[in-house]
Amino acid sequence: MSKIGFISATRISVIAGHTFTQLVRMKVFYFLVVFAVIVLASQFVDMSTLGAVKAVEQNLRVMKGAGFFAMNMFSVILALSATALLLPKDIEDRTLYTILCKPVPRLDYLIGKLLGVVALVTVGLLVMDGLFCLILNIRVEAMVAEQADLLTRMGRSAEVIESHAAAIREQGVTWSLQAGVIAVLLKAIVVASIALLVSTFSTSTIFTIIITVVVVLIGLIQAEARDYFLQQQSLGMSSPMLEMTRWISLLFPDFKLLGIEDGVINGERVSWSLLGRVSLAGVLYAAIYTVLSWFVFRRKEL
Amino acid sequence: MAGKEVAAVEIVDLVKEYPSSFRRKMYRAVDEVSLRIEQGEVYGLIGPNGSGKSTTMKALLGLVAPTSGLCKVFGCDSMKVDARQHVGFLPENPYFYKHQTAEETLKFYGRLCGMRGKQLAMRIDALIELVSLQDARKRRLGGYSKGMLQRVGLAQAMIQEPQLLVLDEPTAGVDPVGSRQIRNLIFQLKEQGVTVFLCSHLLEQVQEVCDTVGIIFNGKMVQQGSLSELTSVDSHTEILVEDMDEATLAKVREVIEQGGGELLASGAPRRSLENLFIEIANQCGEEAR
Ligand SMILES: Nc1ncnc2c1ncn2[C@@H]1O[C@H](COP(=O)(O)OP(=O)(O)O)[C@@H](O)[C@H]1O
Ligand SMILES: [Mg+2]
Repeated sequence: MSKIGFISATRISVIAGHTFTQLVRMKVFYFLVVFAVIVLASQFVDMSTLGAVKAVEQNLRVMKGAGFFAMNMFSVILALSATALLLPKDIEDRTLYTILCKPVPRLDYLIGKLLGVVALVTVGLLVMDGLFCLILNIRVEAMVAEQADLLTRMGRSAEVIESHAAAIREQGVTWSLQAGVIAVLLKAIVVASIALLVSTFSTSTIFTIIITVVVVLIGLIQAEARDYFLQQQSLGMSSPMLEMTRWISLLFPDFKLLGIEDGVINGERVSWSLLGRVSLAGVLYAAIYTVLSWFVFRRKEL
Repeated sequence: MAGKEVAAVEIVDLVKEYPSSFRRKMYRAVDEVSLRIEQGEVYGLIGPNGSGKSTTMKALLGLVAPTSGLCKVFGCDSMKVDARQHVGFLPENPYFYKHQTAEETLKFYGRLCGMRGKQLAMRIDALIELVSLQDARKRRLGGYSKGMLQRVGLAQAMIQEPQLLVLDEPTAGVDPVGSRQIRNLIFQLKEQGVTVFLCSHLLEQVQEVCDTVGIIFNGKMVQQGSLSELTSVDSHTEILVEDMDEATLAKVREVIEQGGGELLASGAPRRSLENLFIEIANQCGEEAR
């Protein structure tokens, strides 16, 4: 008898591909229409550019902020609900029996499910990103033209006009913006892996969603909380809460580590090394939660 | 598999306890069951609902971990993934992904077993024909009837040509014609040397196909043995005759009594309702053609 490998790329891709089609056929992509409406609506927020470059930048910031907010929300909701639905459904429908009684290690199954959700979120995010960049670019070019027109009438030199245009474009579609989108994807992946972990021991989809949301919220505020208690301590007020935040940081993800959109929205450049670090942190978190899921799932009675 | 023949299935003192809501006591679903199935044998496990048949099978497939005891498939511990290479399993009331067609479902399971390409495509064609789903192969399973799902389940279990088939209530919810087909299929598999382990609470069907039978009650194996051993009544002999008149019957009775025996019963043998139904169904089928 030949040995079955522990992790097989083919098997994982079969399960991932299957999960992806399953989700697509559940028609989850309809939500993209809602996204399109939000991005289009953000276009019409305060169109008065009134000359000043600062106001132009402010406008673009609002638009980018809305775009990233929508992308964040949608990718997280998609990752969370898809993952929270899949595993309980497989157990309830007993489709899991027919999969696990084939020579499929349980770890392969979990990784396959997770990657299927990740593929889905990636495709959704690519579409959203494309749409967002397209509209943002149209807006930026319109502003550049408007400014150029204005400055020419004011009799400014070509160099001044050019530098203004560059300043505006800096706030538009850039590589740093794409790095921000990658960070959004990473967050969604971490959320999906948390939902996967919770769903290995939870008994219902709704429980999985609630617990995951709580974990994500703790992950979002834990950095602030730690900073706050550290500050308190430096003021001479030691509190047991500081110790607790240390423990929390061991168990819960620190989403602040993955947040680079704030800078991106302000038009800051994202360096390769920062993007690398953020990606590493995201993948590491997802890997840790997947291994933990496997620990629970390995011995689970079906 | 070199060396001496290992048993296809070997279960030794299997105990499976489930936590019960009743205080802290554990509920024993399977209580020290032992059984051995040689290669090529058809083994039937019978018992009422809730007697632990499915649990025994799940333990054999590593879906649940035994509380104590041991399950082996071709000599390999069930809890290891390797044990599942040569096993096909049809769960009780199988349920598949509704969004897939029969063809896609089989492809999915085949690829999980490491099959692909032309070999897989040919295997799928053969299986779909075997379970007669040709007309429905491109339809999504969401619209399948219970019996059709059961057949998809069978095809899925056989996808990698396993040496052992584990069938949990293979004929539950299937009409008599369908269950006759499944029975014939089991005969066919047996000829090919495949070991079959099935369970059912329908005694007739088990009687028809199985070499060996185990009777399980409340998680305990009550009796086990070859079918002929278990069902023959040693002191009785059956004679079946065609076209006999009363006079001959009287003579036969005389002969028997001379030999010191006693004629207990005579009359037309009853055909089972199942047989009658199948005969009619077959007739109607031929007329329709
Ligand atoms: N996951 C489970 N948790 C608790 N009890 C279970 C579980 N699965 C089965 N049982 C109990 O174990 C007993 C045997 O079940 P089962 O093996 O399905 O019986 P059968 O297949 O013979 O009808 C039943 O009384 C059932 O209630
Ligand atoms: Mg059962």
